[in-house]
Amino acid sequence: MSTVGAFCVTLNENQCINSRMPGKCATCVEMCPYGVYGLNEDNEVRIQNYNACVGCRICAEFCPENAIRINPAESELVSRYPWTLGTIEEIHHKALTGGYGMRGFGTMGGPTPHFDTIVVVPSQLASPAPRDKYREECNMEVVIGEETCEKPIRLRYPFIFPAMSYGALSREAKLALAIAVAKTGIMTNTGEGGVVEEEPYYANGYERPDRKRKIWEPGGYLVVQWSTGRWGVSADYVNAGDAVEVKIGQGAKPGMGGHLLGDKVTEEIAAIRGIPVGSDALSPCRYYDVVGPEDIKKQVELLRDITNYEKPILMKLGPSRPYEDVKAAALAGVDAISIDGLVGGTGCSPEVVTQGVGIPTIAVIGPAARALKDLGLHRKVKLFALGGMRNGLDAYKAMAMGADGVGFGTAAEIAMGCRGCMACHQGNCPYGITSQNPKMRERLDPEEIGQRLANFINASAEEVKILTMLSGHSDIKELSEEDLRALDVNTAAITGLKLVGYERPLPWWENGHGK
Amino acid sequence: MAHAPSVLDAKGKDLKAASTALKAMLAEDSAVVKNAAHLHGLCGGLKSGEITIQGDSGDYLGVVNSGASIKITGNAGKYVADNMTAGTVIVEGNADFGAAQYCYGGTVVIKGSAGDFTATMNKGATIIIGGDVGDEAATYMVAGDVVVVGNAGENLGNYLIRGNIYVGGEWASLGHNCAVVDAESGDIRMVENWLQEFGLNADAKAFRKITPLSDKPFYSH
Repeated sequence: MSTVGAFCVTLNENQCINSRMPGKCATCVEMCPYGVYGLNEDNEVRIQNYNACVGCRICAEFCPENAIRINPAESELVSRYPWTLGTIEEIHHKALTGGYGMRGFGTMGGPTPHFDTIVVVPSQLASPAPRDKYREECNMEVVIGEETCEKPIRLRYPFIFPAMSYGALSREAKLALAIAVAKTGIMTNTGEGGVVEEEPYYANGYERPDRKRKIWEPGGYLVVQWSTGRWGVSADYVNAGDAVEVKIGQGAKPGMGGHLLGDKVTEEIAAIRGIPVGSDALSPCRYYDVVGPEDIKKQVELLRDITNYEKPILMKLGPSRPYEDVKAAALAGVDAISIDGLVGGTGCSPEVVTQGVGIPTIAVIGPAARALKDLGLHRKVKLFALGGMRNGLDAYKAMAMGADGVGFGTAAEIAMGCRGCMACHQGNCPYGITSQNPKMRERLDPEEIGQRLANFINASAEEVKILTMLSGHSDIKELSEEDLRALDVNTAAITGLKLVGYERPLPWWENGHGK
Repeated sequence: MAHAPSVLDAKGKDLKAASTALKAMLAEDSAVVKNAAHLHGLCGGLKSGEITIQGDSGDYLGVVNSGASIKITGNAGKYVADNMTAGTVIVEGNADFGAAQYCYGGTVVIKGSAGDFTATMNKGATIIIGGDVGDEAATYMVAGDVVVVGNAGENLGNYLIRGNIYVGGEWASLGHNCAVVDAESGDIRMVENWLQEFGLNADAKAFRKITPLSDKPFYSH
């Protein structure tokens, strides 16, 4: 789905500082990642490329005089689909350059089913009575590796920040995530780009490695990722966090590995990844040291050994064949599995892959949970659902469908300030989140943004609590598919949830197919 | 006073039991391990110590080695010295598929022959194969040196990004982005030193050198 031509840009010249005083203020020219605005030879701001606007409204946010309006022009989707201006521009771009479209962010628009066609069923007479959110307790703790590790992870809330690498993200953004997990008792993930020096002790709540008292309570956890590129991986790295995650794939580009181009491999990134400055850091799409499920099992075992059988071993999967994949992961002996949906985000991916490859998040969770149930491991091996989680409502629905918790990746970036301009891969993020440019990075204060993230997590946890208690539960582990209904036939068909009004799953689910 | 190193008989032991016993021995002394061919991932993540594996080893021996000196008197299983960052791994016999992948540093010597995908994604280690090497050796190498005394298979050095490959024998075919250049006197001396150090019999002057054709083999457009 291309956004070309999907928005109307209006500049109110009565309000615009530059219109009144040419040469002054050209913030919009500086901020727009797509060159919608330009300066003419008299230094007057002009809208030079209306059609490039993606509707992120960064310009409007930064405009000191509130002179910019961005209005959607989506009626075109009705009148010209499938030959919208966006499609036409995409074909022209390919015809002119021979290159395909790359962008950051995640799946947007289009017909992807998501959580919105599912509703929560409150409790009345026919089910256990609602619990009082203000006066009664609700257990939201998720424990990973309780029976297998000497140092299990105890998440205060059923949330994680999934893997986002240093390199794709700035150092400041990584530290903000670490501070946020320390303040909320959840866990973050290094991603595959190596570990930032402060990340481990920040995530645990300490300002310095030698400190005994936490500066951020209650302290959280850091997961280090073991991936197909193995950037910066050493014995110290594997032991730097509180758990190790074996990455198989991700939602935004399953089966494609990772892409950090040489231009972005600065001295600092090169040092942390252990490679020469300026060399392409392309993670392979598969492990060269894994051929078949037996090897993955051996890797899980050797990681347990390197971490002295103390730390949980996790695995991350992209959305492919959730039932079979999760079964294989569980049989490899991991303590928790994160499975990403089609809606998962990314710093850089071919557009066709982000938009059109993978299984939607709501169709991944059910089969993944069933795989664990069939092995007798549901709620023992923890399941985290990722991909397009926006709030406590999405989290509740995912958990009622069988997940133990959820990951907020894109939502975390938005909580840091992101407006979804989709230019993460260009390295000029105006908020310093996905940029290595010092000018952009200095805009991101890790403590301030860490607090924003913590606020977001706390608010989302409250939402989960409200929903859990109004549906008659005092523990998130009690949530089940009975707490949800599908609003339409399609959602009922792909999830197996009861259809509203019909009050049963669709017939083929009742006949046992798919369950 | 020199004395015989402690011996661990790994027969019937699982990885946890063998590894725990080995680490306890290494805290005091060097160690010899026998009957360890069924163990995968032994000697993982060690930072120091001298270990001799008597006979064959299982898969992933010396994975993430960060400073230990490991010697295998027999053949090594798959992925020996995987992801090593420092130290030495010497295999007296042959190595199976995927030896010395993802290594950042240290030295891996396979005195016999090695399988396919040896030294894949080498990021700075010195990897020496005394015999022949299979297909796809040194694929995606980002830094370091790979020496093949014998012959190499298909697609040698595929998408070489940085680093050098020295080959004493022939190769079936070269991968993308490989350039065959004249070995300089410094290169020859370096290869000669390695051959001598590890007791490999070959004429360093006969080695040909392969380097990356372009600095940026991907996304040239």
